[in-house]
Amino acid sequence: MRTRQLVIVASACFLLSTTWAQTGAKPADGQSLSVAASSASADSLLNGGLAAWSQIAVKHVALNRTPPLYDTDEPATLEISIVDVRLARVSKSLLVQLSWRDPTHDATTLAEVPNTPPETRFRKVQTEADDRFFDAAAVMFPAKSGSGAIAPSLQMGDVEHPVEIYYWNATRGAMVMQAQGRGTTRRTGQSFPANSTYQNGQWNVIFELPDLPAGTTVAFAVWNGSQKDRDGRKYFSVWQVLE
Amino acid sequence: MSRHQYAMVMDLNKCLGCQTCTIACKKLWTDRDGTGYVYWNNVETRPGLGYPRQWDRIGGGWKDGALQPSPLPTMDDYGHAWEYNYEQRLYEGKKQPVMPSPEPKSGCNWDEDVGGMNEDENYFFYLPRICNHCTHPACLEACPRKAIYKRDEDGIVVIDQDRCQGYRYCIKACPYKKIYFNEVTGKSEKCIFCYPRLEKGVVNACAAQCPGRLRFVGLLDDPESPVHKLVLVHKIALPLFPEKGTQPNVFYVPPFNPPKRENYGKSIQENPRVPLDYLIYLFGPEVKDVIVRLEAELKKTQEGGRSEALQLLIGRDAETRYHVRPQLVQIQL
Repeated sequence: MRTRQLVIVASACFLLSTTWAQTGAKPADGQSLSVAASSASADSLLNGGLAAWSQIAVKHVALNRTPPLYDTDEPATLEISIVDVRLARVSKSLLVQLSWRDPTHDATTLAEVPNTPPETRFRKVQTEADDRFFDAAAVMFPAKSGSGAIAPSLQMGDVEHPVEIYYWNATRGAMVMQAQGRGTTRRTGQSFPANSTYQNGQWNVIFELPDLPAGTTVAFAVWNGSQKDRDGRKYFSVWQVLE
Repeated sequence: MSRHQYAMVMDLNKCLGCQTCTIACKKLWTDRDGTGYVYWNNVETRPGLGYPRQWDRIGGGWKDGALQPSPLPTMDDYGHAWEYNYEQRLYEGKKQPVMPSPEPKSGCNWDEDVGGMNEDENYFFYLPRICNHCTHPACLEACPRKAIYKRDEDGIVVIDQDRCQGYRYCIKACPYKKIYFNEVTGKSEKCIFCYPRLEKGVVNACAAQCPGRLRFVGLLDDPESPVHKLVLVHKIALPLFPEKGTQPNVFYVPPFNPPKRENYGKSIQENPRVPLDYLIYLFGPEVKDVIVRLEAELKKTQEGGRSEALQLLIGRDAETRYHVRPQLVQIQL
């Protein structure tokens, strides 16, 4: 029953946020994000550890669980309800730190694939497991910026309102994606600077994004590998507005 | 429905269990990084665990128009790859015997030739398996990326490796567990029915290499093709687990030989060595009719007559067994 209630709440949040996205209404005050202007370098924020971020204000952003997308989906409980967001603007980029509690560390180091063609090697790299999924997180924002622009659908935008997704995976690294609606997400083949640590049951992941102007809407997503999260099976926030 | 449909018939009475098809496929398509455990074609002993083990009992497919749930098979179900300590034994002077590590506990055709008992007599047969290139593929329906599609020109089901994101809903949905996840590429892959060969008029590698000559290939809708004749005219080949609802396009001539020891000369329907219930489990109740038809054809030849169906099943030459006609399926652009 509890799961059912959670699903209903998540569904309601999902629908509300989508409705808002479609109407283009402004988000409530609680959905704004302050951005610290930092004189630190992008490199020091990316690689300087938690201390580099200690002076930057944190915003606790609520996460929702997507409702079951397919009839055959296993039910999932809301295990991660908050993601802590810190933002810092440096000379030409926006640094975003996402932190969330996740007791299960779903990440591995995949065996390195040699540069030589597989047919020239006696031993091939093996698939170690076929049923594991890895922790991941993403920041999504409209591909077309501009103040007053209608926020895209939370479901990966739409044809008129494409989105950029900066996706980080605990095993496979950082990759830039683009989408124009649910099911259209594609990898651009590009990466972006990111750094991550996992300590005491907590992920801290830092994304280096292009400099997004004030008024830009951003949304966050977290995938929990141990809950078999992938695709739209995930945690998501509603749109937030950069101050 | 595709405009045409390539299909395969395998005569289980002729399968030797030699795995030549498996190796032909593996050398051609899955001798790559991440595909050690991947067998687009495998041959398993029946009754038996299958590969991945218990694939026939864990779920997937359709029921009342809805996809059915299924867990993902694990590497325990496929079997973990093992290596031998040759270096220690041969070069480092260690006295231990050469042993595999990790300890093998499962694998492709792990229970080879174990089979089952029918009263006091052992029985088993081999079941070669490839993707069924279903008319109503559950994998295609399950993929949120629309990475899986059925080729309109020939009905072959393929996974677009550019669109696939490795979500593995397809593996869960396939009731035959014939899609494999490659962790190195992060994508799922499956049998492509050797379409690059078919497009050049060359039959599938698994069929071409089969010493038992048990595979028949052609278009199901081509009246000249052996698969059309075996499935639709003579009606002696059936799909595997038809109740899973995917409408497979790989068909099997069920095993009906040899008879039990005391049954020589009697009807194969009388207390057969391979229990009828087991064949019904695999091929559905229609298998009873197929056995009757096969026995009638057998009787015809034993009485000096000629059976077209049996002549076709003998399949002496490639022209009889294969009817690959790329010009029939070519799309005019």
